[in-house]
Amino acid sequence: MNSIHARLLVAATLVLAGFLLAAGVALEQGFRAGLEDALKDKLQSVIYGLLAAADVDEKGRMVLPDTLAEPRFASPDSGLYAWVLTEQGKLFWRSPSSLGKALPDTVVMAPGEVSFSRSGDLFVFTQGIGWEDDKGNTRRYTYQVAEDGAAFEEQMRVFRVSLWSWLVGMALVLLLIQGLILRWGLRPLRAVERDLEDIREGLRSRLEGRYPRELQGLVSSLNSLMEHSLAVQERYRTSLDDLAHSLKTPMAYLKTVIQDPAVSCEQLRGIADEQLQRLDHIVQHQLRRAAVSARSTLVAPVAVAPVIDRLLTTLEKIYAEKHMQVERQLAPGATFRGDESDFMEMLGNLMENAFKYGSSQVRVTVEDRDGLRLTIEDDGPGIAPEIWPQVLRRGRRADEANTGQGIGLTVSREIIRLYGGALEAGRSALGGLKLTVVFVQG
Amino acid sequence: MHLLLIEDDTPLLEQLARQLEARGYAVAKAGDGTEGLYLGRELPVDIAIIDLGLPDISGMEIIRNLRREGLDFPILILTARGRWEEKVEGLEAGADDYLVKPFQFEELLARLNALLRRSGGWASPVLSFHPLELDTMAQQVRVDGQPVELTAYEYRVLEYLALHAGKVISKSELTEHIYDQDYDRDSNVLEVLLSRLRRKLDPEGSIRPIETLRGRGYRFNLQKTGTS
Repeated sequence: MNSIHARLLVAATLVLAGFLLAAGVALEQGFRAGLEDALKDKLQSVIYGLLAAADVDEKGRMVLPDTLAEPRFASPDSGLYAWVLTEQGKLFWRSPSSLGKALPDTVVMAPGEVSFSRSGDLFVFTQGIGWEDDKGNTRRYTYQVAEDGAAFEEQMRVFRVSLWSWLVGMALVLLLIQGLILRWGLRPLRAVERDLEDIREGLRSRLEGRYPRELQGLVSSLNSLMEHSLAVQERYRTSLDDLAHSLKTPMAYLKTVIQDPAVSCEQLRGIADEQLQRLDHIVQHQLRRAAVSARSTLVAPVAVAPVIDRLLTTLEKIYAEKHMQVERQLAPGATFRGDESDFMEMLGNLMENAFKYGSSQVRVTVEDRDGLRLTIEDDGPGIAPEIWPQVLRRGRRADEANTGQGIGLTVSREIIRLYGGALEAGRSALGGLKLTVVFVQG
Repeated sequence: MHLLLIEDDTPLLEQLARQLEARGYAVAKAGDGTEGLYLGRELPVDIAIIDLGLPDISGMEIIRNLRREGLDFPILILTARGRWEEKVEGLEAGADDYLVKPFQFEELLARLNALLRRSGGWASPVLSFHPLELDTMAQQVRVDGQPVELTAYEYRVLEYLALHAGKVISKSELTEHIYDQDYDRDSNVLEVLLSRLRRKLDPEGSIRPIETLRGRGYRFNLQKTGTS
C-alpha cells in the first residue's frame, strides 16, 4: 500500500461499500415494516367487514352468513381465511376458504384486544369482540383473519431486486467518479515527479511552474536544496582551481632551487622550510574554506549557548595556564540558522584569538534582537584602527594572505560572508580587540 | 619521561620518536590504535601524543577508553583537519591539547613541556626551588644561578623527581619512567646515577635536594619558590 492513489482508493471504496450496504439494509427493513403495516390495516378492515356482515337470530345471538361479499372467503386455498372462536375457545364459525386448513394457535382474547403476528406462511390478525344479545348478556368472540404470506414475499422480492440493483449501479458510478477525482487531485504530484525526472536528465535545473499551495513548500525546499548543492559544487571547483593554481608557484620555485648547484645545503634548508610553510598555509586555507557547508535552509536552528559553552570549556582547557576570566552574557534561546559545524568553526577561530591575545579577560556576548549579534572581546593589545579594514577585508586569495595573521580569521570571515553576515572590529571596553558578528535574520 | 606516541604514518612516527628521544623522552611507539591502546594500558606513561586519524581504532576512541579506565596522563592530539568540531570533540573525550599537522617540532616540544608541567602543578617552564632552578625548555639546571652540567639521564631523573616534588618515588617507578621498556630493573645503575647527581648539585652537602628513604625510594625535598 505504498501509493497515495491506492490508499485513497481503497479507503474511499471501503467507506462507500459500508455506507451503501447499511443504506440498503435500512431501506429494506423500512419497506418491510411499511408493507406489514399495510397488511395489518387490510386484515383489520376485513374483520370489520365480517362484523358488518354478521346477523342476529331470534334470540339476539350473532349469526354469520355462509356466503360473504369477499369472494376469496368462498374458494378453498384462496389465501384469505377467517375463523371465529367462542369464549371457551371453540370454533364458532369458519370461512369456506379455510376448510381443510389447520387453525393457528387458538388464543381467546378479551374484547378490544388485538394482535398481529406471523405464524408459518400466514399473517394472522386477531381481535377480541364483545356481542350483547337481547337479554343484555355480553358474549365474547375472538375473530381471527389470516392471509397467506406468498404475495407479501413476492412484493419484498421485487423490491429487493430493484433496490440492490440500484445501489450496485450507484456504487459503480460513485467509484468511477471517485477514481476521476483522485486522478485529478493527485495530478500535481505526478507533475512534480515528471519535472524531477527532467531535472535528473538535465533538461532543466529547477522546479518551475505553478504547483498547488500544499506542494509549494516542498517545491521551494527542493529548489533551495538543489541550488545549495550546485553552489557547493561550484565552491569545491573554485577551491580546487585556486588550490592548484596557488600550489604550483611555490612548487615551481622549489624545483628551480633544487636544480641550482649554486644554492648551498643550508640555504636550501631555509628555502624549503619557508616554502613548506607557504604550501601548508595554502592547503589549510583552501581546504577549510571548501569544508564550509553554508547550509541555511532545511536545517534545524542551532542553539547558540551550548556551542559557545563547549568552545569555552575547550579553550579554557587549552589555555589553562592563562587563567582567563571569562564573562559570558548569552541571550537565552538565541539560535543560528545554519550548519552547526560551520557555526562552531566560525566562533572557535574568533574566540581562540581572544584567548591567544587577551592577557586575563575575555568577554562573549550574544544578543538576540532583529537577528543574531555575537561580540567577542579581550583585554589584549588589540589591533590598531588603521589595520581593521585589512582584518575585515573579504575574499583574498590564500597565497596573497598575510601568513602572520593566521588562517582562522580568514576562515571565519569566509563563513560569515557565505551566511550573509557582517564582521565588525572595534575597541573593547576591556582594552583589547572587540569583534562583532551580525546575522540579520528574516 | 615515558612518552606514548601513536601515529600511523611510519616515516613521521620514526622521525618524531628519534627527535623526542634526543630530547630525553623514553618513547613507546605504536603504529595503530590497537597497539597504542595496549601500550597505554600496560606502560607507566607520563604523556601521550595521539594522532586522530588512525586506521583501526579512532584516536578519539582510544582517548575515551584510556580515560574510562582511569588513566589520567596528559594527552596531546594531532589532527590533520583542524576543524573546531574535531578539536572540541577531542578535548571533550579527554585530551588536553591539540596540534594541527604540519607543525614545527619546537612547537610540539613546547606543548609537551607545558602539559607535563601543568600536570605537576607548574605554570612556568622554569621550575624554581631556591637555590635550584630547572629550565624544562632548555633542559638546563642552575644552582645559585650557576649552570650545572648534567648528562641526559641525570637530567631526566632530576626533572621527574622535581615534577613530583614532596612525593616518595620508588626506585622501580623511577626506573620505569626514565628508561625504555627493556631496561634491566635489578641493576644498581640508578643508585650510582643518583649519587653522582647529588655530588654535582650539592658538592658541599648544604642543600640536600634529594633524600633517600631506605626501602621506599627517593623524595625531592626542596620547596617550590617563585611562580607556581
